Amino acid sequence: MTLLETGKRLTVLQERMFRIRLLEDRLQKLCDEGLGADLHFSKGQEAICIGVCAALRETDYLVTHHRSIAHASAKGVPLEELLQEVLDGKAGEMHMSFPSQRFMFCWQLVGTCIPVAAGLAWAVKNHLKTDDIVVVFHGDAATANGQWHEGMNLAAVQKVPLLLVCENNHLAGNVRPEHYQPVKRVIDRASAYGIDAEVVDGNDVEGVLQAANYAVSYVRTRGVPYFLECNTTRLGRHKQGQGDLRTREEMEQLAELDPLRGLEQPHGLVEEIEAVIQRVQAGGS
Amino acid sequence: MQLLEQQKKSPFNRNHALRDAIGKAIHDQMGLDHSIHLFGEGAQVKVHYDAPDIERDFADRVHTLPIAEDGNTNFAVGASLLGVKPVVDIITADFLYRAMDSICNTAAKQNFLREDKSTIVIRSEFLTAGPTTGQRPEALFTHIPGLRVVVPSTPRDAYGLMLTALRTPGVTLFFEDRMIEDEEFSSNNGEVWSNSIPWSEALPFGTCSWALRGQRSNVTVLTYGVMRQVVQRALGPYKFNHDYYADEYPMLCDVIDLRCLYPIDWEFIKKMLERTGKLLIIEPDVTYGGVGAEIAATIAQEMPHVRVKRLGAPRATIPASKSLHGQMLPTEGQVIDSIRNW
Repeated sequence: MTLLETGKRLTVLQERMFRIRLLEDRLQKLCDEGLGADLHFSKGQEAICIGVCAALRETDYLVTHHRSIAHASAKGVPLEELLQEVLDGKAGEMHMSFPSQRFMFCWQLVGTCIPVAAGLAWAVKNHLKTDDIVVVFHGDAATANGQWHEGMNLAAVQKVPLLLVCENNHLAGNVRPEHYQPVKRVIDRASAYGIDAEVVDGNDVEGVLQAANYAVSYVRTRGVPYFLECNTTRLGRHKQGQGDLRTREEMEQLAELDPLRGLEQPHGLVEEIEAVIQRVQAGGS
Repeated sequence: MQLLEQQKKSPFNRNHALRDAIGKAIHDQMGLDHSIHLFGEGAQVKVHYDAPDIERDFADRVHTLPIAEDGNTNFAVGASLLGVKPVVDIITADFLYRAMDSICNTAAKQNFLREDKSTIVIRSEFLTAGPTTGQRPEALFTHIPGLRVVVPSTPRDAYGLMLTALRTPGVTLFFEDRMIEDEEFSSNNGEVWSNSIPWSEALPFGTCSWALRGQRSNVTVLTYGVMRQVVQRALGPYKFNHDYYADEYPMLCDVIDLRCLYPIDWEFIKKMLERTGKLLIIEPDVTYGGVGAEIAATIAQEMPHVRVKRLGAPRATIPASKSLHGQMLPTEGQVIDSIRNW
């Protein structure tokens, strides 16, 4: 993929973010037409997975939660394979895996991905004995769940090479943090497990990349977990078929934080996505 | 010392033969397969006391995890995705309720979702110490696709089934019944059918054991876990009396030990029922919604001429008192009465 000249030259990372945005916009249309499932999109949060995955090796592993389409794209899962699974797979977007790209596990149940990722990282270190690492994405809402805490504890006591990335969109579905988070920052919870942590602006892809470069090298060289809290904004609904309790005014304010705001989308990408969707739909019918 | 002697005599004393057989199977298979790892609360302490061979030979593959049943099982699932074959020790069967999500949602679904199948064994033990330390949740798991459920009642079965659990991709709930007392297992102990499989071999899932062959049998008794022993003890005097008269002791019956609650050996059970036409299910668990209910329903549907009776525990909370607990499960007398009173 070459960089495409637009009004403003996009960086490689911005172009990758656009791939997710345009793919999800197209899937959104499918959902609106009643053709897709109730998918979970990452609109507004793309900078986190793109920045973090840019710091990974191809051989590093990824585990994530239910908002997984963006993460699969960021990890390099071929578009056709991804769409086949999302639109017509037996696992679907919330349970799919692509071991060839080391996209190992995503799970609908909030919090489960943390202990599973800890176990996976344990096996990388103690069974496969390589210096690959595991990155696990989760939302801030997961930090209220017991599995998050059991997983953090296991990762810390077992000293596993795990990078925990919190996509902090300050929402649990449609619920505000005052209902599930008594501390100001998520890393205050991480510090309870003796895991080193850092907060970054999750809408600044270069900033995420810089922090992730440090975090990945920390985890790889020391073989212990590290925690990255990325503050971000979810610009779409929690999932399709569900309303959003935020006001238009608030959404307009949040849109100003959109990491792709003001950028012109790369030419040819929409057509490329469309062609793959047509192929997948033709194959599936 | 005196206390130890007393404990040995108590019917609630810990069985050693069954536990040792499970430990030996895991040890033997660990020697053949380096991807087997043991995870559990206090796992290192447990092998120190229960399986010193494992501690001696494979200490580096025994991993003590926190008291976090759900997280530990999810952790093991994660490790299994890279080829580790975890044996997760949940210690007490009641604690499985704390890991229902990781067992029924995470572990049970993995082999449906991916081509590289995981091999996971989840161990636990039925105890007898009250409301949340004496339950038998095995029937619940037979309901969940993606899980196998094993309740061996003899050391030979425990050994053979554990080997199979470790060698066959899939998730196995492996239960150890502490109420089973050590007995003279070196003799053939009345076992007929499955005795041809020697100790060193794996027992396939979905096969039951013909624990006792009835002469002039008119009832087929289907049982598992500790009830196999209770039934055999109840029938013991009749079995060993060679001068019996069939008219006088009409309770002589075939006894089948299920040992695998899922998958179930339907073929063998049906073959046996062709002989007798009467099925008595004796289970060491609440009959309501239990394994016996499933068997009774299936037989009623597929062999309508067979009459079915069930004997088991009431749908009641397990009391801590040992004397009260003793009243929960069918007794030898009740077993004899049920066979006699058709």
